[in-house]
Amino acid sequence: MEINNYNRAWRRLTGAFCLLITVPVTILVLVTASSLKEAAIEKVEVSLGRLIEHKKDVITLFLEEKEDLLTMMVGMYPVTYLGRQENLNDLFIAVNTAGSIVDLHVIDSSGKQLAYVGPYAQSLIDKNYQDAAWFQDVLINGSHVSDVFLGFRNVPHFVVAVSDPLKTYVLRATVNSEQFNNLLLSTQIGPHGDSFIVNSEGTLQTPSRAGLTELNNEDRLLLEHHEGTTIIKREESIVATRWVKDGQWCLIVKALVEDSLAPFYKVRNDIIFVIFVTSAVFLTIAVLFAKYFLQRIEKEARNKAELGHQMVQMEKMATVGRLAAGIAHEINNPLQMITSQAGWIAELLPEEEPGKVKNLDEYTKAVEQIRHHVRRAGVITHRLLGFSRKISVEKQNVQLNDLIEETISFVEKEAGYNNVSIIRNYAEALPVTAIDGPQLQQVFLNLINNAIDEIGQGGIIEIRTALEGNTKLIVEFADNGHGIKPENLKRIFDPFFTTKDPGKGTGLGLYISYDIVKKLGGTISVANRNSGGAVFTIVLPIMSLG
Amino acid sequence: MREFNVLVVDDEQEFREITVKRLEKRGLKVKSAESGEKALEILEHSYTDVVLLDVKMPGLDGIETLRRIRNMKPLVEVVLLTGHASVDSGIEGMKLGAFDYLMKPIELEPLLEKLADANEKKRLHQEKIEQAQIKRNMSKPA
Repeated sequence: MEINNYNRAWRRLTGAFCLLITVPVTILVLVTASSLKEAAIEKVEVSLGRLIEHKKDVITLFLEEKEDLLTMMVGMYPVTYLGRQENLNDLFIAVNTAGSIVDLHVIDSSGKQLAYVGPYAQSLIDKNYQDAAWFQDVLINGSHVSDVFLGFRNVPHFVVAVSDPLKTYVLRATVNSEQFNNLLLSTQIGPHGDSFIVNSEGTLQTPSRAGLTELNNEDRLLLEHHEGTTIIKREESIVATRWVKDGQWCLIVKALVEDSLAPFYKVRNDIIFVIFVTSAVFLTIAVLFAKYFLQRIEKEARNKAELGHQMVQMEKMATVGRLAAGIAHEINNPLQMITSQAGWIAELLPEEEPGKVKNLDEYTKAVEQIRHHVRRAGVITHRLLGFSRKISVEKQNVQLNDLIEETISFVEKEAGYNNVSIIRNYAEALPVTAIDGPQLQQVFLNLINNAIDEIGQGGIIEIRTALEGNTKLIVEFADNGHGIKPENLKRIFDPFFTTKDPGKGTGLGLYISYDIVKKLGGTISVANRNSGGAVFTIVLPIMSLG
Repeated sequence: MREFNVLVVDDEQEFREITVKRLEKRGLKVKSAESGEKALEILEHSYTDVVLLDVKMPGLDGIETLRRIRNMKPLVEVVLLTGHASVDSGIEGMKLGAFDYLMKPIELEPLLEKLADANEKKRLHQEKIEQAQIKRNMSKPA
C-alpha cells in the first residue's frame, strides 16, 4: 500500500519534472527556431535586394557603355567616312577589344546597309532595314536597344543602334548575348535560385537557370511596373524584381527559401541537439534525484514508523508492567491472609479429638489444597513482580559466550531428548560486560526452552553472538520452527500471552525476559526469518564495572 | 527453637493478629505495631531481637522506618516483608542493612526460619561484642 503511494509519488514527481523541463525547452526551441528562420529569411531578402540593385547597375552600365561607344563613334565620324567598308573594319578592330560586339552595321537613313563588319557578311549584304521597327525607333529617338531575338542568323542576340544627331545614318552593333548572359551568372542565391531578364511582354531575354522557357502565370504577375526594387515573399521562394532599361526589361531574381535556409537548418539542428541533450541530462538527473529523494523519504518514514512502533511497544509494556505489578500487589495481601489462616487451621486441627471431628482428614486435605493453590498463585505474582529472580546487588564481568555455553549445559539433556541440535555461531574475543549474569541467564534459558518447545523433534537452534560498534553486544536465538504469526508479533512479550496449550505455559516467560533485558539496559526484539522460524535478538550495552 | 522477641509491623490488622497468634504458638515473644512510628516507640521501650517490617505503609514507610531502626538499635535485625515488591526496593532495603527481603504470600515455616536466622545472626553479633568487651575488661588493670 505504502510502496504504491511512493511509486505514485515518484511517477508524479518525475512527470512534473518532465513537464517542467520539456515544456519550456520545447517553447524555447520553437521560438528560437522561428526567430532564426525569420532572421534567415530577412537576411536573404536583404542580400537579394542588394544583389539585384547591384546587377541593375551592372546591366545599365553595360548597355550605356555600348550606347555611349556608338554615340561617340557617330559623333566623331561622318557617314562618308564610316560608310566605307575599310574604315568600318579599322574602327571595329579598334573598339572591339573586349569582344562583346559581334558586328557593326552602317545603314543610311533610307535603310540601306552601307557597310558591314562581322561574321555574317554574306547573309546580310544588301539587306534593307527601312521597315524594321527598331530602325524607325532609332530615327525618331536617336537610339535603340532591342530585345533579344534570333534574327537572320538564328543566334540569340540584341542590338544597340544609334543615329548621328542629323539622322543621316544609323550605326548598329550586335551585342554578344553570351557575354551579356554572363553578367547574370553570379546573380544567384542558393543552388536552386534563378535569375533572368524578361521584357515587358514576359519573354525571356536571358536564359533561366532553372530552365524556364516562358513565364508561368504566377510570375507574370511580377511584370507590373514599379520604381526601385520590389521583394515578394512567396510560400517557397522570395522574388526580387527590378525594372531596368527605362522599364523595357525586368530583372527577376528568385531565391528558394529552402536553399537559403540550409545554414539556418544546421544552426537549428545544432541548437535542437544541444537542447535535447541538455534536457535529457537534466531529465535523467531529475528522475534520479526524484528517486533518491523519495527513497530517502521512504526510508525515513520507515525508520520513523519503526521507531514509533518501538515506542508504542515500550509504552505498552511499561503500562502492562505497572498494571501487572499493581494487580500482583493487591492479590498478594489477600493471598497472605488465606495462607496464614489456612496454616492456622492446619496447625490447630491436630489438637482436635479425632473422634469428635468427623471429617478431620477431609479438612486436613482441604487446607493442604488451599495452601497449595495459594503457593501456585504466589508463584505467578512473584514472577510477575520479578521477585522470584535472584537479586544480585553486585554486577560481574560476564563473557557472553561463556554464559550462553553454561546456559546450554542446563538444557542439553532436554534438547537431546527432543533431538534438537544447537548450532553455536559465536563471535570470537567478545569483550566482557558488567551485567547481572544470573538474570541474563534466565532470559537465555527462557528463549532456548521456548525454542525447544516450538520446534520439536529434529529442530535446529542457532545461537549467534556479535559485537556492534564496540559499544553493543548482540545475541540472536534463531529456530527453524513455524515462526510467529504476524498478529502475535506485537503481543508476544505481553504477560499471560501464550500460544502453548492451556496449562503448559503461564505466558510469563517472555514478559519476564523483556523486563529483565530492559532493566539491564538492553533491548529484545523478535522477527520471523525469511527461511522460516523466528529469531529473537537481544542487544546489550557493554559496560565496565564501577 | 530458641525463644526470641519479634516485633511485627504491618498496617493490616488481620495480618498482625494472625501472625502474632501463630508466632506465639511457636513459642516466640511477639509484639505488634500498626505503623512505623509505633514500631520505633515500642523498640525504644522494650527488648526486641527481630523486626518483621512491611515495606509499604501509610505514614512512615518501611524503608524509612528501617533506616531509623538501624540508627536507633543497630543490633536489631530487620526482615522486610511486602506484597508490593520490586527488585529495586529489595535492593535498597538490603543496602540499608535489612537481613532479608520476603514477599507475600509466605507460609509460616519459611518465615519462621528466616526470623530464626535473623535472630541467630543478631545473637552471634551480640556475642562478639560481649567477648570484645570481656577482653577489654580483662586487659584493664584490676
